[in-house]
Amino acid sequence: MKYFAQSLLKTIPVLFLITLIVFILVRVTGDPVSLMISETATDEERKALRESLGYNDPIYIQYFDYMGDLVKGDFGDSHRYETDALNLVIERLPATIELAIASMVIAIIMSVPLGILSAIKRNSFLDLFVTGGAVLGKAMPNFWLGIMLILFLAVNIEVFPVSGRGTFLHLVLPSIALGTGIAAEMTRLIRSSMLEILGQDFIRTARSKGLREAMVVNRHAFRNALIPVVTIMALQTSTLIGGTLITETVFAWPGIGQLLIQAVNLRDMAVVQAAVFIIAIFVILSNLTADLVYRLLDPRIKYD
Amino acid sequence: MGEQLLDIQDLKVRFKTDDGYVSTVNGVTFHMEEGETLAIVGESGSGKSVTSLALMGILPPNGEVYDGNMTFEDKNLREISKKEYRKLRGNEMSMIFQEPMTALNPVFTIGFQLRESLMLHFNLSKDEAQKKGIEMLDLVGIPDSEKTMSRFPHQLSGGMRQRVMIAMALSCNPKLLIADEPTTALDVTIQSQILKLMRDLKIDSNTSILIITHDLGVVAEVADRVVVMYAGEVVEEAPVYELFENPKHPYTKGLMSSMPKVHEVVDDLYSIEGTVPNPSKMPAGCKFHPRCPLADEECTLVHPDLEYINESHAKRCIKV
Repeated sequence: MKYFAQSLLKTIPVLFLITLIVFILVRVTGDPVSLMISETATDEERKALRESLGYNDPIYIQYFDYMGDLVKGDFGDSHRYETDALNLVIERLPATIELAIASMVIAIIMSVPLGILSAIKRNSFLDLFVTGGAVLGKAMPNFWLGIMLILFLAVNIEVFPVSGRGTFLHLVLPSIALGTGIAAEMTRLIRSSMLEILGQDFIRTARSKGLREAMVVNRHAFRNALIPVVTIMALQTSTLIGGTLITETVFAWPGIGQLLIQAVNLRDMAVVQAAVFIIAIFVILSNLTADLVYRLLDPRIKYD
Repeated sequence: MGEQLLDIQDLKVRFKTDDGYVSTVNGVTFHMEEGETLAIVGESGSGKSVTSLALMGILPPNGEVYDGNMTFEDKNLREISKKEYRKLRGNEMSMIFQEPMTALNPVFTIGFQLRESLMLHFNLSKDEAQKKGIEMLDLVGIPDSEKTMSRFPHQLSGGMRQRVMIAMALSCNPKLLIADEPTTALDVTIQSQILKLMRDLKIDSNTSILIITHDLGVVAEVADRVVVMYAGEVVEEAPVYELFENPKHPYTKGLMSSMPKVHEVVDDLYSIEGTVPNPSKMPAGCKFHPRCPLADEECTLVHPDLEYINESHAKRCIKV
């Protein structure tokens, strides 16, 4: 527990750095005022708007103002929606979490049995098929897969809705689009991890005890093979979030990803900053969780 | 000595490799009686470990027994179903491995791994298995046995882990215990403790022990009878005293002379020239002839049979 508290404390400077980087990036990549005001506005009008929004102050003053508000939980208002940016992001959070969990579930359902099977049937036709499929799954960009899924399963055969969120059916295509790449990565990892473990001495010991092969594989080997897999799964969280940006846009899924892309395009700085901040918190939390699970799975690692 | 427990006739094991099949055990024959300790001796690569894995039915996936017979009590091990074989393993026949550091599963407690075979073969409840497990740990001389049950392998020393392995292997009162180089990875003081432990346990339980080793000191200490293997074949078989007194095969003699002796000071310790031949490039005739001091032309042509010079002593050599 002490370890967990320490790790949490260590995340504070990370979050601080992230706010700084995002703050600078959104300011060096374009002028928000030009998008907020009509094209026919005069230079005076532009100047006045810029002044009123505080964009004429030196950048470090702007940052201190922003940080001063941020520690009070105020991320500023969205220019476009004219409401609190953080609330806007939090409203969209459940949709993204729903999509992320569904994709992860699909990835696990696909990768665990396939990874184990292709390891125990090494060099068989099945193994070839699975590893080949994994390369393909990893190589397909998820926006392309998303569009193909829409084309075949929503337009040509009208099984699933084309886009949007609502019913369970709405969830299926986007989570397949997002989960496939992760499943591919995990399958390859589980396969190689299992292959390594199955050659270990303690597997021979387990067999010499007269255990059924299923027990040897699922209990003795898989428990050990999970250790590296959990680490990679946590690292996949950032892939997952990167994936939601694109997938949500393709499927018009009303989550943080879609909001963030729109906000970037509209130079809606407060929303970009709030969304990135929330995403960063999720990535950090998932890494922390992985760290804890890793320690639970591997008794050789101590908490000190 | 009692009834015959194990009979191995002309056992042949091969492995599938990229260059086709390679045969590493080429017609091994020996038998064991109840309560007997038989040692299989030979250099690395002589096929002694493969023989034991074949006997347990746990050859690696690319290995197979392709000829010969293995009879355990009245069961033909080559004909029984996988399920019947599983019921024998860990129960009637069990095995201790060379590397205590890696032979235990690192993510499960000692208790879990000990209880597993007890619950499987004796249908014990978890509590009953726990009790029996603690008993077994006491038996093999592990202090603090109850606490040890909840420890993980990495928290124990090599000697302690090997004791745990022995406790695990003996927990179901096997009729046959196969010990593959059980002391090789241990310190000398721990070695003698483990050997003494095995000897004591054998006297108490009438378990037959098949000990596989390259260490003649270990053989002298525990074995009743010895089988010497070279290049996947038995080259000599004799009761332990007879073998040490009167070794016949030049390979056995070489092994004996390469043992350091306390009362002799020598500058160079004797060693047998060359190495065990690669299984895919076996020499014609007697497989030992390229390294044999007695070899002549006849040895390069004739592959000698294992021939008995008296009731219990056999050798595979035409020169002696």
